[in-house]
Amino acid sequence: MSTTQQKTFPPPGLNTPAAGTALPRRRKPARKKNAWPGLIWVLPGLVTLFLFVYYPLVLNFRYSLETSNIFTGQQRFVGLDNYARLAADPVFWKALGNNCLYAGISIVFQVFFALVLASLIENLRNERFRTILRSIYFLPSAISLTVTGLLFAFIYQPQGGLLNGLLNAVGLESLQQAWLGNPDTAMLGVIMMSQWQGFGYCTLLFAVAIQRIPREYYEASALDGIGPVRQIFSITIPLVREMTGLMMIVTISGAFQVFNEVMVTTSGGPDNSTQVLGTWLYRSGFIKNDFGYAAAIATVIFVITLALALIQVRYTNKRRV
Amino acid sequence: MKALFKAVAAAGIVAVALTGCGSSGTAQPAAAPAADLSNVKYEGSVSVITRYAGGNAAFFEKMAKDYEAAHPGVKVNLQQESDQGYKDKIKTLTASQSVPDVYFSWAGNYAEQFYDNGLALDLTNVIAPQTEWGSTMAPQALEAFTKDGKTYGVPLGLDAKYMLYNKKLFSQAGVKVPTDLDGLLAACTALKSKNITPMSFGNKDGWPAIHYITQLNSYNVPAGTLNKDYKPATASFEDPGYKQSLDQFAQIVDRCTTTGKTANGADYYSERDAFGQGKAAMFYVENLEFAAAAPKGSKAEADGYDLFRLPAPAQAKGDTKALTGAPDGFLINSKAKNPALAVDFMKFVTSKQNAEVLASTIGFPSPVTGSLNEQNSTPQLRASIEDLRKASRLSVWLDTVTVPGVAEAYLSGVEGMISGTKTSEDVMTAVKAASDQAK
Repeated sequence: MSTTQQKTFPPPGLNTPAAGTALPRRRKPARKKNAWPGLIWVLPGLVTLFLFVYYPLVLNFRYSLETSNIFTGQQRFVGLDNYARLAADPVFWKALGNNCLYAGISIVFQVFFALVLASLIENLRNERFRTILRSIYFLPSAISLTVTGLLFAFIYQPQGGLLNGLLNAVGLESLQQAWLGNPDTAMLGVIMMSQWQGFGYCTLLFAVAIQRIPREYYEASALDGIGPVRQIFSITIPLVREMTGLMMIVTISGAFQVFNEVMVTTSGGPDNSTQVLGTWLYRSGFIKNDFGYAAAIATVIFVITLALALIQVRYTNKRRV
Repeated sequence: MKALFKAVAAAGIVAVALTGCGSSGTAQPAAAPAADLSNVKYEGSVSVITRYAGGNAAFFEKMAKDYEAAHPGVKVNLQQESDQGYKDKIKTLTASQSVPDVYFSWAGNYAEQFYDNGLALDLTNVIAPQTEWGSTMAPQALEAFTKDGKTYGVPLGLDAKYMLYNKKLFSQAGVKVPTDLDGLLAACTALKSKNITPMSFGNKDGWPAIHYITQLNSYNVPAGTLNKDYKPATASFEDPGYKQSLDQFAQIVDRCTTTGKTANGADYYSERDAFGQGKAAMFYVENLEFAAAAPKGSKAEADGYDLFRLPAPAQAKGDTKALTGAPDGFLINSKAKNPALAVDFMKFVTSKQNAEVLASTIGFPSPVTGSLNEQNSTPQLRASIEDLRKASRLSVWLDTVTVPGVAEAYLSGVEGMISGTKTSEDVMTAVKAASDQAK
């Protein structure tokens, strides 16, 4: 049953005092009155968060100001010495540069190319074909990283490897390399393995965002004679900007936390050419027993990722549709 | 956003206050107590950690079971880790003061870290060479876990590095076992001229190259200088022999291997398989791995294989009788609840009967005299142990004999040399800098 009554908000008479009556005293908001019982409910969560997130973070900062001997438990305050050593350590800067390279290439592949591919897939008319393509591109993300590392070790192997075999087959023998054994190509080799694995996942996320765009926009633009390429730039990209922004931040943030990808392929070698901040932290702490120095690297990683997280929070608050 | 900052700041302030409550430990390392086996109480449990997970796990599993059967009141809590997994886990256990009663250690600085800081029981009373237990073992193996006249470790596997060679391929190229480094390089040239890969070599993990450098350093640098330089407090790394060793290694890679500059991308185990498949004439390998390098039924076994030491350069100034290798060993936690039981367990593991089991189950040669026989080992493995006993000393692996910073400088520097991005001078400059920093 439909109604023709015009709705107003708030309903008439609800908040309006009757003529001649005194305004009632403003009541305190109920949430303040009930704040303490509420806090008791969230207390276990807060305590857990504090103990396992904030306390270790601050403890890590304290360790970064000390040198420690794990065998005796001795610690010695050294001020900012570990940070000074960090600034003078060429491997640290190499690792930071590799993280930046990782972030840059990831943006190209996992944001730009993934968006283009998602647009192309979602433009296909055949639903079954679209589903098959989405699954094919997503498949690498479902494979364990250890298996991926092993797979790419076979691909990159200098003798009998798939990549060198392909180059040989097409007459490009001169380009054959020990891809992971050459300091000039090793980092790119690791990064490309990571793109292969993450590319499909990002494509899927973009596909979901594109599906939320009303089809009418595309139909109307098609009636106006707009082609598919222009549709991508004029409709798709502007309307998935929230997802694009998020993906960029998540991708960059992920690039500064990368660890497993390097460990399963090169462990940071040869000659430290594939060190990233995570692996250099690991080597400093667990191989060289320099835990104070490792804590200083951890603090740098934390500061970078915190900055990115704050940008993400700010961005999502502003851009939410 | 402001609320978020406030929350983070507040949490930080409270956390700082709390961390301030914790005190930094300042305890000096205590001298290690001595072992006593006069009154072993066979009750309770003994915790053991090894680095033999996977294919080599069977030996300690059997030992734990047999020891429990022999002593019904005792439970052996066994943890077996992979090589890398062990390196990570033992650091965490040490930092949290939770080291098991019996724990694995490589020889050299790696083991010294534990006994210098009072974390290993002094076993001199029970296992020094003149004792009943110690007299059953090769003195070189005990020497690797001895410092300042005190013995701290129980050697388990007697590990040394040899060059395996394929007799048929050598014969095809008319090559004889070389007696010096020039002879080796000439043999490589002769093999190459017959289209035979002289030597398989993969350095993806970094340490295979370091084993060559360990041996060459022993040949080129006098033993006294080496001992001094491998300890940062007295190190100078001024001897020209170090650079010569690096240059000689570069020659071997260049003239003997086909991987050459791409060796950093080649997997050690794939290259080891290449020798087993008869695709390479030589492979530099630990005797613990002989069975894996030339397995039963392999082409290398069919062709016939034998071994020789990496030949020394002519007029070498170091100890040309030294041999690269070190026993795998076990230390006893000085803070174990029942240290006598822990020592007794390792005495059981290294009895002659169980030393024979070590060879028959996982192919490890034991330092226990007479433990290898025709039933449990190959002639090549027995020959390696016979040769090892003639060595003037064992040169412990370069990546465990010195401090981690120096080892790291060598590992990455030699990788750079193989790739062609570093010279031997660059490597030694980095090694010196790392050693100075560790002083």
